[in-house]
Amino acid sequence: MPEPEIRPAGIDGSELPGPYAVGRYAAGLREFLRERPRVQLFGEIWNLRLSRAKVYLELRDADGALPCSMWRTDFDALGLGAGVLCDGAQIVVGGGLDYYTGTRTSSPSFSFAIAELRVAGEGDLLAQLDRLRKTLDAAGLFAPQKRLRRPALPRTIGVVTGEGGKARDDVLAGLRRRGWQGRLVWAFAPVQDRHAAPRITAALQDLAATGEVDVIVVARGGGSLADLFCFCDETLCRTVALLGVPVIASVGHHTDRTLIDDVAALSCSTPTHAAESAVPVHCTDARADVIGLARRLDVHGRRALLHRAQTLSRLARAPGEHVAGERRRLHQRLREIRAAGRRRIVADERARTARRALVLDRKAAAAGRDARGATRLSALALALAAHDPERTLERGYALVTDGAGELVTSAAAARRASDVRLRFADAAVDATIRADDDRA
Amino acid sequence: MTEPDAAPPLSYEAATARLEEIIKRLDSGDAGLRETLELCREGRTLVELCAAELEAVGRGLEELRLDELVARLQAGAGAAG
Repeated sequence: MPEPEIRPAGIDGSELPGPYAVGRYAAGLREFLRERPRVQLFGEIWNLRLSRAKVYLELRDADGALPCSMWRTDFDALGLGAGVLCDGAQIVVGGGLDYYTGTRTSSPSFSFAIAELRVAGEGDLLAQLDRLRKTLDAAGLFAPQKRLRRPALPRTIGVVTGEGGKARDDVLAGLRRRGWQGRLVWAFAPVQDRHAAPRITAALQDLAATGEVDVIVVARGGGSLADLFCFCDETLCRTVALLGVPVIASVGHHTDRTLIDDVAALSCSTPTHAAESAVPVHCTDARADVIGLARRLDVHGRRALLHRAQTLSRLARAPGEHVAGERRRLHQRLREIRAAGRRRIVADERARTARRALVLDRKAAAAGRDARGATRLSALALALAAHDPERTLERGYALVTDGAGELVTSAAAARRASDVRLRFADAAVDATIRADDDRA
Repeated sequence: MTEPDAAPPLSYEAATARLEEIIKRLDSGDAGLRETLELCREGRTLVELCAAELEAVGRGLEELRLDELVARLQAGAGAAG
């Protein structure tokens, strides 16, 4: 039995009643609270703690929070699986206010005593999601990201994901498959719970603000809709929609559809696929393609240069060939002119000889010589013509005359004359006899 | 008098698309000598551009955190200033 408290004197001058023993007052308070109407409340569960006898948690929403407790036996009777009541999960509880009065050795505590509990199903989340989706769609926020140009070969890729998650490895695997080895900027953020959405939003804004990032991948592995609900945050989705950098989202598995999938430029089923979509070009193949294109250009270029060289060569040869042809034609004309000149000289000489013979014939006829005489005269004329020095000259002989024009017919006469003229068939040349030239 | 704005740098995809056009034109055999030589000259410039872009993402993966990138940019801005 506890010993009765000895009541001390009250505070001098105070008009308040008492003093009362605190334990009794606390018990009165407990009774007062227990008499309050019993109600149902809804909110997000937070800080769930299990003890041997009781379960403690906080029920929160944007406007306030309430500490709650539940008998462990009642909680276990619900048969909830592990992880269902994770932080942030929406629940509905029924019960009333209660107060543990505490003792001299234990602290008092106020709580809402939960007698009934229901986990708000995905149907509730889906309805909420559907309302928000319609709001964003009506605001035209699904389109802006789709209009952004996504580079085929980004130099810098930003990735928003959980630091320890598997999504990180999947992104790297996707980039390896593309043969991409550029600059990768990690913006790690929580990807689950109530803190996730603001952090993801800030990471996206910071990545875009650098001006260095060509495309951003937002990646998270699978989970329940409650787990992924941060990617349906209205502020986050509005930020993505109005971001100047294309965002490729890969949140959850292919059956999940969060709002970021709707507002992003592209939605992919896995982080690996998202990484591959961020680099549409397969870099290794592209290098081979560029080399192939360069070779084809070289072939065309060489062929064109060869063709040009041949054309230039042909054009360069043409003037030379033309001049050579003209030269050949001129030489031919010159030979023809010289030959014609020589023929004319010979013909003139023959005509002169014939005229002399004719004169002799006429003179003989005029002299009235008899026919025999005439015949003889003709024969003499012919003989004379045969001995005509000019004819002899034509055969290669030369006439030698001295300075007075007299014929020089011996070597001695030639030595005496010293200067002589040699007359050939075509022309005459002057010559000097050397004094020592005494050859026979 | 103001100078005309410089043309924006050609993207990789635009460069490869133009290269395909050039090769198609050259393969057709319809291009004259002068056009062929001009197309080859333009094509070589585009090949160099594409090779440079591929080289930029082929030197080895560089991983860094966002705060490291921001610090690097601020350092660069400070040095420039």
